[in-house]
Amino acid sequence: MKVRTSGRALFGATAGLLAALTVFPGGGAVGDFSDKIPRKVGAWAAVGEDRVYDRETLYDYMDGGAEVYLAFDFREAWTRKYADAGGRELALDIYDMGSPAEAFGIFSCDRQDPGASIGQDSEYGFGLLRFRQGRYFVTVTASVEDETVGEVILELGREVVKHLGPPGAGPDMLGFLPAAGLRPERTSYFHSNVNLNNRFFISSENILQLDRSTDCVFAEVEAGAGEAAFLLLLRYPDAEKAGAARRSFLAGYAPEAGADGLARAEDGKWVCASLSGRFLAVVFEAPTAEWASRLISSLPLPKK
Amino acid sequence: MKHFLTRRDFLKGTTSALLGASLAFGREGQAAKKARVVLIRHRDVLDENSKVNADILQGMLDESVARLLDQPDGVKAFQTLVKPGETVGIKTNVWSYLPTPPELEAAIKRRLVDAGIAPDKIGLDDHTVRTNPLFVNATSLINVRPCRTHYLAGMSGCIKNYIMFGESQPFYHPDSCADLGSLFKLPQVQGKTRLNILCVLTPQFHGRGPHHFSRRFVWNYKGLIVGQDPVAVDTIGLELIKAKRREVLGKAQELPPVPKHIQLADTRHGIGTSDLNAIEFIKLGWDEDIMI
Repeated sequence: MKVRTSGRALFGATAGLLAALTVFPGGGAVGDFSDKIPRKVGAWAAVGEDRVYDRETLYDYMDGGAEVYLAFDFREAWTRKYADAGGRELALDIYDMGSPAEAFGIFSCDRQDPGASIGQDSEYGFGLLRFRQGRYFVTVTASVEDETVGEVILELGREVVKHLGPPGAGPDMLGFLPAAGLRPERTSYFHSNVNLNNRFFISSENILQLDRSTDCVFAEVEAGAGEAAFLLLLRYPDAEKAGAARRSFLAGYAPEAGADGLARAEDGKWVCASLSGRFLAVVFEAPTAEWASRLISSLPLPKK
Repeated sequence: MKHFLTRRDFLKGTTSALLGASLAFGREGQAAKKARVVLIRHRDVLDENSKVNADILQGMLDESVARLLDQPDGVKAFQTLVKPGETVGIKTNVWSYLPTPPELEAAIKRRLVDAGIAPDKIGLDDHTVRTNPLFVNATSLINVRPCRTHYLAGMSGCIKNYIMFGESQPFYHPDSCADLGSLFKLPQVQGKTRLNILCVLTPQFHGRGPHHFSRRFVWNYKGLIVGQDPVAVDTIGLELIKAKRREVLGKAQELPPVPKHIQLADTRHGIGTSDLNAIEFIKLGWDEDIMI
């Protein structure tokens, strides 16, 4: 198994050399966290060896979840367990996602709980703390969930964020979303079909031809009467690929659509797929065809 | 002609019919025998702390397998599955957040012994089945695991439980784990699975966080789904997951990511049926909030 241990005594020459050769603009190499992150939080203490996983070994740490991270520019994960006297455990995971935009992405794909005021974006609920800071995405997970454990989780999160370096900008794609009616806390950024299908199932096949070269934002937009329509904005490497993706999408999802890319779905709502250069905008569950077209027209997309 | 599932299919409320239509496609005129799947539930198999009542669980296993095989009791039913002198592997699941309950493993093992299998010829394993001598030499396999959603495969059920028989797990990950059904054609496995048990005592209908687990998405359903066809068993399990997701998360999230491997285990790999119309679904026991 290629998993590295990274306890202070075990953090050896190889990891040290890697750290010296690699430029980390904020927070340092993940192995450095073994020295920086407190080993005690309240009555909880670190147990076992800290571990580091890379793109090759992340499978050893996660069952199936690894692909969700590998679909981003994930570099390494540093993990530590804490336990209290009763044997209850906390798992602290710090993921180096390669850039602040990618850290925003992995955070944004799975939002559900109230904010926790830790780092740039955060949420806490039911024993799970998630936050991002700079290029890092962090989770703290409890084996048992109660109020006292929750306080320890939040305290640990507040300690960790001190060592993650400065904040960083989110993806530029967020700037192409409509200002009016947007539910910003529901916006997700990603690249691949696995993330899209976990966020909003469209098809069992990759009919939008997504891969790591595509930038995607999925947004919820107020559509009246408390309901939301869904906007999927995709940026392909070039206009030719965007056009091919639109054809593939319409053939698989809305074959009855005309040149305007509009079709009425079985629930009476509208779907629309529209091209603008290398951008493809798809609206789902729009109340009317006009509403869908108007939303797409309102997007502040670059001219080229 | 489109053969894959899209969001529009479940806007129509016909996902199940569509999944089922996959089997009918290309098989017109065949009078396929229905695959029997039994769901059994008991109100008291879990206490208020979700602790398993082993005696009740044994009774549930016995009654469901007996009904599955039209036998008078659990012992006789297991005697039709395995023969004395055999080596039998129980492929369990040890995922730390939601493992196969040890009481269920013990109940299976007990009935195998009752059916004449020597205790030292019964293997119980998950991660090392490829090298465990009891699995290398097994002539029969019992496939048992909890039912849960999965980031990549959509659902982890009896089909996915055999991934540890594969030389490389990532090999089966592409395209949403589309080809998990091929695991049942591996030499160590092919033709050996006698019984599939999808544990739905506490199924997980959604996941969050790096390990796709949160107790808020687990509920006490208090059931077992048993059958000899792993695809049919998982098809019923998926219906349960969908029903719970529809109830709690809303219709827009009825489907977990892409449970395509269940359908493809049927249409591509031919190891069972995903057609609800080709499944004889029998429900026993407690029926409150049965959902399916």
